[in-house]
Amino acid sequence: MQRSRLDHKWAGYAVAALSVGVLTLLLKVVGTHVNATTVSLALLLNVLFIATRWGSVPALAASILAMLCFNFFFLPPFGTFTIAAADNWIALLAFLLTAVTAGQLSASAKKRAEEAETGRREIERLYAELRDAFGRASHAEALRQSEKLKSALLDAVTHDLRTPLTSIKASITTLLDEVRGRITGEPPVALDAESRVEMMEVIDEESDRLSRFINGLIELARIEAGELQLRRRWGVVEEIISAALTRAEPITREHRIELDVENELPGVRVDERAVSEVVYTLIDNAAKYSAKGSTIRITARRAGDESIQMGVEDEGPGIPSELRERVFDKFFRATRDGDIPHHQPTGTGMGLAIAKGIVEAHEGTIWIESGRNGKGTRVMFTLPIGDEDVVDEKQYTSATVETR
Amino acid sequence: MTDQPRILVVDDEPQLTRVLRTGLKSRGYDVRAAADGLAGFEAFNDWHPDLVITDLAMPNVDGLELCRRLRAISQVPIIVLSAKGEEKTKVEALDLGADDFVTKPFGIDELLARVRASLRRAKAPPINEATATVLDSGDFHVDLESREITVRGKPIHLTPKEFDLLVYFIKHSGKVLTHRTLLAALWGGNYVEQNEYLRVFVGNLRKKIEPDAATPRYILTEPWIGYRFDSGQN
Repeated sequence: MQRSRLDHKWAGYAVAALSVGVLTLLLKVVGTHVNATTVSLALLLNVLFIATRWGSVPALAASILAMLCFNFFFLPPFGTFTIAAADNWIALLAFLLTAVTAGQLSASAKKRAEEAETGRREIERLYAELRDAFGRASHAEALRQSEKLKSALLDAVTHDLRTPLTSIKASITTLLDEVRGRITGEPPVALDAESRVEMMEVIDEESDRLSRFINGLIELARIEAGELQLRRRWGVVEEIISAALTRAEPITREHRIELDVENELPGVRVDERAVSEVVYTLIDNAAKYSAKGSTIRITARRAGDESIQMGVEDEGPGIPSELRERVFDKFFRATRDGDIPHHQPTGTGMGLAIAKGIVEAHEGTIWIESGRNGKGTRVMFTLPIGDEDVVDEKQYTSATVETR
Repeated sequence: MTDQPRILVVDDEPQLTRVLRTGLKSRGYDVRAAADGLAGFEAFNDWHPDLVITDLAMPNVDGLELCRRLRAISQVPIIVLSAKGEEKTKVEALDLGADDFVTKPFGIDELLARVRASLRRAKAPPINEATATVLDSGDFHVDLESREITVRGKPIHLTPKEFDLLVYFIKHSGKVLTHRTLLAALWGGNYVEQNEYLRVFVGNLRKKIEPDAATPRYILTEPWIGYRFDSGQN
């Protein structure tokens, strides 16, 4: 730290000289009413002040000066430096001792204060350093965690991209081999028409699977970026379900579908296509993970004044309660990652994550419970009905467009 | 029907087993498929295939565990299907006794070539370690008693360690041998991490036996994994 100008030794001498001079003058003007003791105490205080402020050396100078002034102006015989009485020597000694002692005391006090200050600053520095290090460490840890997560996600994604690609590559090279063999007259590859069709079917299906997966990725990315654009308008629950059922028809042919929709359900202000997507995903899962011929039950009813509750239930093996949260994580597949035995093609691991994103964007909730009698899986979700006063202009525009 | 080699395909991906079944059948193999290691092991015991092709990542009993269980009871050739990024598991599978690997996605040709090589190796008469005095394989002729080797008819001089390494290669011709396997076989268990040992010996051996050591045709490098020996047979 830089010392201020007043802290300088020379300033101490100057103040010492000046203050003693001014004090002497003042006491002299007040005159004879002041006795020698008062004068000596006043001067002593002055020396004390100099000592605490500037240390013992300027104080010593002040004390000598004060002693001289005291002697010259206030001790008889006045106007001389002669000291008549012995006790005046004692006064002089007192001046000197006070100066030195106070100076030392103040110096050591100052030193201690400085040491304490340095210590405090050191602790502060260490603390800041520690905090920085800690911050850096936790930042690094967070980064590491997020890197780990990223690489796990990348693993999942590459696996899901590579699996269909492997089947496509194997199919196409099998077909290619046969064609090439025919051209070059190589040893014949016995690939009958049926096998050829099968290979092409695999290519077709696996391309669709890749495409579905990529669409899912895009949708998930949108949801995660908070860019899911809901086109809310007043819709009818029955229509939403029926749209999903129509779409799911090819995958539910071998299941029994049971509909249980409460009478006179109110309209809901939602993005119908998005909600229909949710219902479709749930039906798709139900069909995928339950036996042929079993029943898939779709329900919709009011839940309180402000929301409706929908659900899709299957008679499959069910999801253990400890996995019921995790199945909503993206790329998590209970059959692959959760030790549930299966012999079925699995999904993309994104359906439920997307469904959750859509439901939550509507301020609803989605969860999983056991089906009837504690068997199977029941996925439930709620949707707020919406403010009845809201009239969506879009509804009219699209209505006019649609009634061509 | 009985002379058709039997191949067991173990993969949890139904589309891939579908393709492999058709692809391999069209080449005259008899094929069965299993959806996981457990079913694969059961099918093996039931059907005694001549070769097993298995995926590594599968539910229940995975490919590694299947390799372990199969090796405990059989010397059947095992080809592992692995993905890039699964190198560690792949090496583990090879260390456990898998013979070869194919990286996904693969062309059917590549798989068929590996299948043929593995079946050929399995069919070769077993070397009777105790009584064999001569090894004949492709371009190589080895007299185990006098420790003399000729390559393409020309005698070559090897140090004792190089001789042992080459004999090991010839005995396991066509099979992918991991660094660890080779080090353990030639130098013992304490040296399994000393890949540079191996690199030096392989380098020297190549200089002596390869027509062009820069583009080896006998001792082939499997990057990050190990070596594969091709004696020039076929």
